[in-house]
Amino acid sequence: MFGVLVYACKLTLLPDFFSMQWDPPANQWGVGVFVAGSFITAVPALILSMAIGLGIAIASTTYLPRFVSRLLDPFVDLLAGIPSVVYGIWAFIVVGPVLGKVINPWVFAHFHTVPGFGAPEGSELGTGLPLALIVLTLMALPITTLLIRDALRSVPKDLWESGLALGATRWEVTRRVAIPYSLRGIVSAAFLGFGRAFGETVAVAMVIGSIPALPDNAYAPTYTIAAAMFQLLDSSFSDHQFLVVLTEMALVLMVITLVVNLVGRRLISNLTHFDVPGL
Amino acid sequence: MGDTGSDLLYDRSARTRFRLGFDRAIGWLLPLLFLVAILPILDMVYYVSIQALPHLTVQVLTTTSPYQIDALRVPIVSTLYMMTLATALAVVFGLFGGVATAEILPERLAGHVRTSANLLAGTPSVAFGYFGYFAFVIAFGWGLSFIAGALTLAFFMTPYIFRTADLAFTSVPRHIREAALGSGASPSQYIVRVATPIAFPQILTGVFLAMAIGVGETAPIWLTTTPGVLVPQNWTAPVTVLTELIWENFASPAGSGLQTLAWQAAFLLLVVVVALNIVVRLFAWRYQKRLEGLYQ
Repeated sequence: MFGVLVYACKLTLLPDFFSMQWDPPANQWGVGVFVAGSFITAVPALILSMAIGLGIAIASTTYLPRFVSRLLDPFVDLLAGIPSVVYGIWAFIVVGPVLGKVINPWVFAHFHTVPGFGAPEGSELGTGLPLALIVLTLMALPITTLLIRDALRSVPKDLWESGLALGATRWEVTRRVAIPYSLRGIVSAAFLGFGRAFGETVAVAMVIGSIPALPDNAYAPTYTIAAAMFQLLDSSFSDHQFLVVLTEMALVLMVITLVVNLVGRRLISNLTHFDVPGL
Repeated sequence: MGDTGSDLLYDRSARTRFRLGFDRAIGWLLPLLFLVAILPILDMVYYVSIQALPHLTVQVLTTTSPYQIDALRVPIVSTLYMMTLATALAVVFGLFGGVATAEILPERLAGHVRTSANLLAGTPSVAFGYFGYFAFVIAFGWGLSFIAGALTLAFFMTPYIFRTADLAFTSVPRHIREAALGSGASPSQYIVRVATPIAFPQILTGVFLAMAIGVGETAPIWLTTTPGVLVPQNWTAPVTVLTELIWENFASPAGSGLQTLAWQAAFLLLVVVVALNIVVRLFAWRYQKRLEGLYQ
């Protein structure tokens, strides 16, 4: 397996005799746009999916009766198994128009004084940053929820019960005991969820509007590394330099993903869990 | 995780009432977050069904037409071919690697291999697509072909099967292993005759899981094959699978049959993926019961 990785690197380095060009977007080959785009989409999606995932995990382990959570948990896990293209087509055709026609204008009307929420550039299709955020949040959600849920479940029962016995409410026990105890797992969930959001290709490519420029405001279309790699390969066959740049981008993507995954897995190295597809 | 202790209920001070109230409120609020996850799934299923089913006749599934309008047979069969080949290859690679790591390799090396497998499992599929492109399309000289796509997909699926095989073999109960080896079995005899039957259900589960992931992948195939209108006739033929179909047609105008085709492909994919996931869950559940029986 290791050989596969090294081989991939070797092959991609051969055509790569330029150094990385971190040029501003003005330059024709500025990969900075894509990197920025990837982060702009992945980070808020991560934050959202962590927040929601945390809530769901706490609800599932603490507040809901056992049979209810046993019934509902598989639904969240199912979210992870849905192919990206299906996410993409659903988001593009179903959610996009709602965003473009209803939500964006509403937000603009009410918040246009806040910097960053100025004139909506997005078309009525609704493609662009917000749609990508929604999609990525949904895709990272099962991973964060699963990992946080596992982390919370591994808190020893006596710790829980002693907290309750001392007179704390469930929320207080959760907040002051369970979460600090499972912080490692929660942080790992953040890393792995980020890895998922960062590397997601097809669904993002379908909804992000594919404009290689930094978004001017909160509605604009943009581009990510993975999406660009996916969509532009076909048009790069004629232009060698284009191909080289794309390959460099692939390397960047791989390196970032590798680092994120490495850190994330190190944190839960003692949990051998048979996990969810897409992880 | 039990309910708040009843002592608190007798304390009428304002602060406690706040704490209790907050707890109760959160107890209603947080479970509502489940809806955030569940509503999209239901919405997706609803829309995919609505868009796909009215036109989904048996004819659509089975006819082959020169261009793909109203004909899903070619992509379906192509997907089957692709999945079969890729799964077979992935099983070979993954099983071999998994057994080797679990049984044969020295521990330090095994640890590194496991780490790489885990990292590969988490790598985005586009990266595999690029790797496949350079390795199979260019270096091996096959061009954008069916075999390149299948191999790339196989490589993508291998880490999952590898992990499962590794886990399966290492979780064979120690006393069985020791009994076999102690009775005079050689390591290979042990692996083939004793460990494999025990590990088989878990490995099968892993294979289904890998298939569920593989069938939904677009990037590794799209980047290493060229779209085709026929079922692949030979190793180097063009091919189109269901996921690619969605990718090509999702933005078509709503009236044309093309977008409906995309919805139908999405519907089929959903059915397959959900079915595979259910199978995986059933297997995992039954296997748990079986494993408990082994510990006397």
